Amino acid sequence: MSYYFTILSPTDTPIFNIAFGTSKGGGDGIARFRFPDTAQYMNQFIIHSSLDILEEAQWTNGGMYLKHIDTYPPAAAYISAFLTPSGARFLLLHQPPLVPNPASSSGLGSSSLLGSSGNTVRGSSSTIATNPTGPQTEEAVRQFMNEVYESYVKTAMSPFYKQGMEICSPVFRTRVTAAGKKWL
Amino acid sequence: MTSPGDATPVKPPPSFSPGSGRNASKSRYPDEHEPTVSIDAELAEARSGSSPTPPLSATTAELPIRSASPQSRSVRSSTPQLGRSSLGSPLEGRFGGSEDIRSLIIRAFSPTVAVYASDDTDELVRNKGFKGGFWELIRPYGETVPGKVIIRDSIGSSRAWEDYGVRFVDFKGLGRAAAGRDPERGSRLAQIEEVLDQQLGSAEGSLGHPVPSKEVLGFPATTPLTKLFLRQLLSATPAAPHETFGHPVASVIAISSRNEAPLETLRQLYAESTTGDKRLPDWVNQEYLRYYVLVHDEERDDITESTKLYDQMKRHFGLHCHLLRLRSSQCVVTDDDSVQVPHCEWLSPQEHLSGVGEAETLVDLGADGTPYLFDSDVSAIQSFIRELIVQSVIPFMENRVAVWNDQVASRRRGISGRFMTISRRWAGFGSSSKSGIGGPGGGNSGNYDTEQHFYLPDTPEAILRKMADFAFMLRDWKLASSTYEMIRPDYQNDKAWKYHAGAHEMCVVSMLLNPLAMSSKIKLEDVDRMVENGCYSYLTRCEDATHALRCLALAVELLKSRGGSATESAAKWAMRVMDFGLVGSIGHILFMERVAACYASKTPAGGAKWGARRRKAGMWSILAAEQWLKAGHPTLASACFEEAEHLYADVLDADGVFPMPEIQTFVDNLRHAVKVEYLQARGFEAHAEPAAEDPLGTEEISEKLDKRNHRRSLIGLPGQLNAGNLMNVGARDPEDQPNDDFERA
Repeated sequence: MSYYFTILSPTDTPIFNIAFGTSKGGGDGIARFRFPDTAQYMNQFIIHSSLDILEEAQWTNGGMYLKHIDTYPPAAAYISAFLTPSGARFLLLHQPPLVPNPASSSGLGSSSLLGSSGNTVRGSSSTIATNPTGPQTEEAVRQFMNEVYESYVKTAMSPFYKQGMEICSPVFRTRVTAAGKKWL
Repeated sequence: MTSPGDATPVKPPPSFSPGSGRNASKSRYPDEHEPTVSIDAELAEARSGSSPTPPLSATTAELPIRSASPQSRSVRSSTPQLGRSSLGSPLEGRFGGSEDIRSLIIRAFSPTVAVYASDDTDELVRNKGFKGGFWELIRPYGETVPGKVIIRDSIGSSRAWEDYGVRFVDFKGLGRAAAGRDPERGSRLAQIEEVLDQQLGSAEGSLGHPVPSKEVLGFPATTPLTKLFLRQLLSATPAAPHETFGHPVASVIAISSRNEAPLETLRQLYAESTTGDKRLPDWVNQEYLRYYVLVHDEERDDITESTKLYDQMKRHFGLHCHLLRLRSSQCVVTDDDSVQVPHCEWLSPQEHLSGVGEAETLVDLGADGTPYLFDSDVSAIQSFIRELIVQSVIPFMENRVAVWNDQVASRRRGISGRFMTISRRWAGFGSSSKSGIGGPGGGNSGNYDTEQHFYLPDTPEAILRKMADFAFMLRDWKLASSTYEMIRPDYQNDKAWKYHAGAHEMCVVSMLLNPLAMSSKIKLEDVDRMVENGCYSYLTRCEDATHALRCLALAVELLKSRGGSATESAAKWAMRVMDFGLVGSIGHILFMERVAACYASKTPAGGAKWGARRRKAGMWSILAAEQWLKAGHPTLASACFEEAEHLYADVLDADGVFPMPEIQTFVDNLRHAVKVEYLQARGFEAHAEPAAEDPLGTEEISEKLDKRNHRRSLIGLPGQLNAGNLMNVGARDPEDQPNDDFERA
């Protein structure tokens, strides 16, 4: 599982980005997205396009954590979102690892709404890494988001930080990395 | 309808048409006569996408024809009951672009009429320059019936249709094409791809043509290429046992006045087509209408003789006869009243590739390639076809539907029928349990021939399917969808998977086409499930990629035309098509465009700012542009790109800059590449004569290139930390930090 985490300011400007991989189950914490290295803009593209859904979901969902809101089937990328009171939004893109699997036929019979990509495998569906929409994943993302939110509030209260500025505090970055390592 | 791209279709004959109905139908395409001759036919269609809906006042009855048939003219159409036609299609106006597609899909499922002509008739027609004989002569005119056609549906209300048509097929080819029904899988899809490629090649070749300019505001326009793709896909499937759209509804049996023994010949032709070795395969229902035509040679034969013969024919064969008066000499372009023969709209991919429709690209018009006809011949043929359809084919179909509905369907719907089905299903016995007892799954009806994989045409299952198809072709979608719905479980019981898939597919299509079901909420989950089932059966159980693709493509287009949340479902299915790898590289890009179009057609709910899918549509457009560029079609790429800019215009800031730097870099690079390649493709001619005819707004593009510098001017705005005012936080982060790579960490 590879993750791409972004905080967007209310004007949709990214104020914090980080890409990391899973540390669970022997993961080394390095992101391996399915796009070639030259196409890393795709992550941002997908996140940007999911703002459409986010804008809709924020009015229909009561919580701050909106859970899984959007999917980009061609790359099997899943987006979870979290709202903050100041209008900043946390968006987490997670992408299961690409495992070539000749045995499983195309995902026709499986759940259609998620547009399961034909060449992904879900392996054992109990772990976070393999089931991006399962309740365990959802819970883990919630924990992660909450922890990041705490750090974000503390960072935003710093007298040197103005709203909308890019967050370049190394402390914040370390905390996000730690939260990622802990939960995802 | 006559496709506007077909250069100059039937001109209304000046001497014959005092305010006829055909004038009205022609006015749909106001810009038909644009002087862009070099544009390919298909591409020209784009500009007519926004054609106004035709006035309803067009009348049917009077047609400028020299009808030789002494029968009273169309009894029914003389009293057009326009009662329900105001219901026309509630979609009109709301989704301008999708109306085209709906009409295209509706017309794709037209009744098939087989043509079986005697040798002397074919000889006569061949002298006129039609190598394929009588069939080739009348084929283009069958695709549009001039004037309105009034159809009565199962509950007795009538409805007038402007764009009705039939598909003429060669009787001799009908069984054979179906017999050679298993070419290596996917070759038909490959052919479609090839046709697209050819089309693209010829489009790029004709230099400097205006790009298919999609409408800027009414975004969900369909590119002509997509239409071509759909049309190819819909005409790619030959007659098959599991659906009866390709089976003849009627067959035209033609002789000419040159024949020595006319009545005997007619009998012989009938016998040959019914019992002889030329008869249709077993799975075709033999109860189709026979229509007898006497082709009179105006120049060589005596009309009194022919009239006498015609009267004799009527006495022998009943009312389904027609006397068609044609001149036997060949018409050339220099003749006074020459009219170009329109091109067939529904050519199968094979025909496209073998160059049937390619005559138009020949530069030397008037050569053998483009046939011409005399004005009088054209109107005679048109009146013949109109009479055939309005007075014979449609009443016949209405009658069959009524009879079958009465005898077969209502019995099934009734309480005893239900009981029978249930008992068959659960107990494994039933009225017709020939083999049902030991059958796997507990009781299939036994009507399904598991060796040859079809139902015989007189079994209830086959008849119900035929009835549903007839209802569909008569555009009675309500009856069609309920019938498909009814027979779906039967096919599943019998494990007749192709029938099963077909019933699911057509059930979805007819349900989505039904304009009356617009208001009543169709459950999208039902539709999704049926599409899923249908394409699973096609793809996995039958390995029929062509039909699977057709099923998915129809679902995409029709769901898209529904609007609302159905568009997201449409986009999902379009992505699924790409996922399955059903399409080749060009088809892949086309479906990317379709995804963009689906998202773009989702409008915000009730004036709110949210609910649209502009960003998603924009992303798919950009990606499609990138793919077009990679495929070497910079003109299409720039069209896509331009579209993306329009889509993003709403969601981005006024200066059109993406908030995310990596996207911005990518888009800038892409824009540059598109521009360079586009100019190269046009041989730098745009430099010589800059802004005059450059349709792509490259000026606008170059202006945007240096827009990045302006970003800095936004910096100074002071940001508020007091977060009470959420709307007011417009400040951007300072850009003057040297490193932009914070997202790489």
